[in-house]
Amino acid sequence: MQNRSKLIILLGLVGINIILLTACKDRANTTESTPSSKSQLPVDLPRQDILVVDQIFRYSVVENFNLWMPGIPSPTRQGLIMDSLWYIDQETGQQINALSTASPRYNKDFTQMTVKLRSGVYWSDGVEFTADDLVFTVNNLKSNPGMLWSTELELFVKEVKKIDNYTVIFELKDSNPRFHYQFTIRYNGVWMQPKHVWQNVEDPMTFKFNPPVSLGAYEYADSDPSGYWELFKRRKDWERATPGILTGKPGPPYIMSVFYGDSGRKAMAITRHELDMVQNVDYEAFQAILKKTPTARSWYKEFPWAYPNEQSARYFGFNLGSETVFSNKDVRWALTLALDIVDLQTEYIGGVARVTAIPHPASPPQMELYHTPLESWLKELQIEIEDGIFYRPYDDAVPKKIAAWAQKQGHSMPSSDEELRLLFGTGWWKHDPKIAERLLLKNGFTRNTNGEWLTPDGELWTIKMIVAPDEVEIYRLAIGAQDQWADFGLKLEIETLQRDPYYNRNLMGEFEAISSWSNASDGDATADKWKAIFGLHSQFYTPNGKSTATTGSTNTLRVKSKEMDQIIDELDQIHPEDDRVVELGREFMKLWVENMFSIITISFKNFTTVDQYYWTGFPTNENPFVQPLYWFGGGRFTFQNVAPAAGNTPKQ
Amino acid sequence: MNLLKSYFLPRLSQWLITILIGVTVTFILPRLLPTDPVERTLSTLSSLQTMDPRAVESLKEALEDLYGLGGSPFEQYINYWKRLIRGDLGPSLSAFPTPVIEIIGAGLPWTVGLLTCTIFISWILGIVLGTLAGYLPKKLWCQIMDKIFISIYPIPYYILALILVMAFCYHFQVFPLVGGASGKPEISWSYLSSILWHSFLPATSLIVGSTAFRFIMAKALTSTIIASDYVNYAETAGLSRWRIVLFYVIRNTLLPQATDLGLSIGGIFSGTVITEIVFSYPGIGYSLYMGLLQADFNLILGITVFSIVGIATAALLVDLSYPLLDPRVRYK
Repeated sequence: MQNRSKLIILLGLVGINIILLTACKDRANTTESTPSSKSQLPVDLPRQDILVVDQIFRYSVVENFNLWMPGIPSPTRQGLIMDSLWYIDQETGQQINALSTASPRYNKDFTQMTVKLRSGVYWSDGVEFTADDLVFTVNNLKSNPGMLWSTELELFVKEVKKIDNYTVIFELKDSNPRFHYQFTIRYNGVWMQPKHVWQNVEDPMTFKFNPPVSLGAYEYADSDPSGYWELFKRRKDWERATPGILTGKPGPPYIMSVFYGDSGRKAMAITRHELDMVQNVDYEAFQAILKKTPTARSWYKEFPWAYPNEQSARYFGFNLGSETVFSNKDVRWALTLALDIVDLQTEYIGGVARVTAIPHPASPPQMELYHTPLESWLKELQIEIEDGIFYRPYDDAVPKKIAAWAQKQGHSMPSSDEELRLLFGTGWWKHDPKIAERLLLKNGFTRNTNGEWLTPDGELWTIKMIVAPDEVEIYRLAIGAQDQWADFGLKLEIETLQRDPYYNRNLMGEFEAISSWSNASDGDATADKWKAIFGLHSQFYTPNGKSTATTGSTNTLRVKSKEMDQIIDELDQIHPEDDRVVELGREFMKLWVENMFSIITISFKNFTTVDQYYWTGFPTNENPFVQPLYWFGGGRFTFQNVAPAAGNTPKQ
Repeated sequence: MNLLKSYFLPRLSQWLITILIGVTVTFILPRLLPTDPVERTLSTLSSLQTMDPRAVESLKEALEDLYGLGGSPFEQYINYWKRLIRGDLGPSLSAFPTPVIEIIGAGLPWTVGLLTCTIFISWILGIVLGTLAGYLPKKLWCQIMDKIFISIYPIPYYILALILVMAFCYHFQVFPLVGGASGKPEISWSYLSSILWHSFLPATSLIVGSTAFRFIMAKALTSTIIASDYVNYAETAGLSRWRIVLFYVIRNTLLPQATDLGLSIGGIFSGTVITEIVFSYPGIGYSLYMGLLQADFNLILGITVFSIVGIATAALLVDLSYPLLDPRVRYK
């Protein structure tokens, strides 16, 4: 009896093992990684046919392609299957005429906009894209409040008319020299709807548009019901979509976006050659990738590796919505001069970003427009540290100091100043704690016997700063400021928050200080600063306790300035290609800097990493022909240029 | 009849009251969050596209209307119950207009599949091994097992999970990094085997941790029971060890173990966020986590309703099964 029980148990265990081993047998053998092998990817396709890209989050909604509804995930897929009139390439700053063949033509008072459409563009079901689709899209969105762009189109468009199959005229309700921005894609914009599909839809809000009729070079093929991945197949007639027409290149047969999770998991996936393009990883993960994967690289082949040209910058901001010590610009300047940007940029960021002293990203085209022309003004800028005593705070030697640090780390550095400026930015503010001290003393601050700062009220001065640690750079910068201000005798308390509560506190003005990004420091790869600053106008001013998200304001720091209003008012009235646009942009930046409304530190950098094991043709610093930001709308042109690497022969 | 009146009916009423209170509390709590779903949508949109500030006010009104957030909280509460009775959990606010039931439907089978299997496996393993270790404390293999489980038990779950990922996805690239299966759902060996293959590491991590807990619990219970008269009597009567373990020891430790099992099964509907994140495994936990962060009232309510009903029902079933497991309850 005993023996029989043992036998039954033994047989049961053997049975379980056989099932598990059989399940694993074939699959475990697929890890061999030659450019012709199968892989452990969740689709049964030859690995060499698929470009695998990092899906920047796990989709909570799958198989819903109604990207005109808020809440439907858009990254990557919008570039693959949607299209609009114009794009701004985020690397070169050039306008790409996609569905339109030329820039929009306005009448003199900007109340009418004429659009010429491209002929020979076809939806994936074989119907030609024409003016009917554009007119239908605008009217359909206008009549469905709650759909994206519906309120803007309702606000601005009096009438949209088809003149012929390839010409459309917009009659606007008011003068608007930037109306075409609705159809000009950086990340997102008014995507075209196929009239022949949507005109039969009863409820456009709940319509899933699945399978989507594509206007891109790819069409939807498959997805994970749990939102971990999505697969797109190249259209047979890819030459009849704008990415194919404009590049003349086919792109990979399949593009698959996969959500792997955090930086560590992305690094593992690259090491396994199961991920070809990554949006971003942290510094440590990138170093691990470099060690394990010789075919992987980021923007620069060598140090400082990372992609430095995304159009935004990091800053430390203070809530100016109520009367506090931060209302005094001397205090803001003192805090700036107590920071050591070289130490921040190197020890905390790894030396891999450009510094920027003005509220604008320091990408090469933007540096030509703003940073370099403003440098003489920055050098001459003086702040009054005591009555009648002035001080020049700008330090143009910062790039050299960073380069010296890099050389000590064993990295080779170019010798010319120009090249160093391209690597590390034009300059920043001096690290001068003594001047910072004089500024504070002038304003009634004192030190106690321990050397700690007391406010004019005699209270120990402690700054409370909110940070979202998942945005690694702002967190590291905050830690750096904490250390540096501590050396200066000032306590910084960092409150770490999840992303959503962080956004909420930022928008509601429920913070004293914040480590953040965007706001006034955004760029758009063009010369026009309007998008970044229009929401700062006092007409949208939102007091603390009310969310700026509900008023259209982007002024989360609650800055008040009549001079700024004047700049914005003038900018709003002129066309973005007017010569005065750049001048007004510079005036805005001077105003921001003089008042130190926020301490801008470094430009964005992303370890946008590619593995060239299966694919090549990615944009790099040596060949910066297109933006590497594939998850933006303009990623459609990035993908199209990707081609098989040596040894990789796609089967399709 | 007496048992029905004095035992079953009070417990059924308790079950109903628990669900009523649970749903009401869950309705109130998200509304106390500092995050507002409309504000969150507007904030997300403004970061993704050119939103003219002049158009924001009207978009806000349109979204409030769409999300059904108009009316007083009491009216919303009544409407919620009306919808719930019809089986409609409303649209997700963070993934509007996707119905909440669709989001739950996509994640729940994975969570239920993984957790049901791992809970039962660890429950059986823990009880059997723990009972043996308690009954035969001087055996070398029992002592080794004891040391192993006592060492594993304090290891935080996420560390254990990360070790498995590092070992079997990175150093030995045996298991996949992402997902719950390969290919489209179908009844075929290929698809089923891919489910087994994908779930092997997450399941192992869950089984190891919970087996250690149940092992310690079963061993402690057994140590008490082996000193009892009926076990001594059975040994004196010369019954086989297997018989004593199965029918005298395990059976008498089952009551607290069954309660634990019931509550664990009820908790399945809350999901396991850490498992999903560490192994990139599908499930309902991540949806709940995101729902909480994004103030998606309907999604939070939808998942919590499943969880409340699951736990309350499991507790009810455990309660109702006591008379079957323990004759003393019947006689009372």
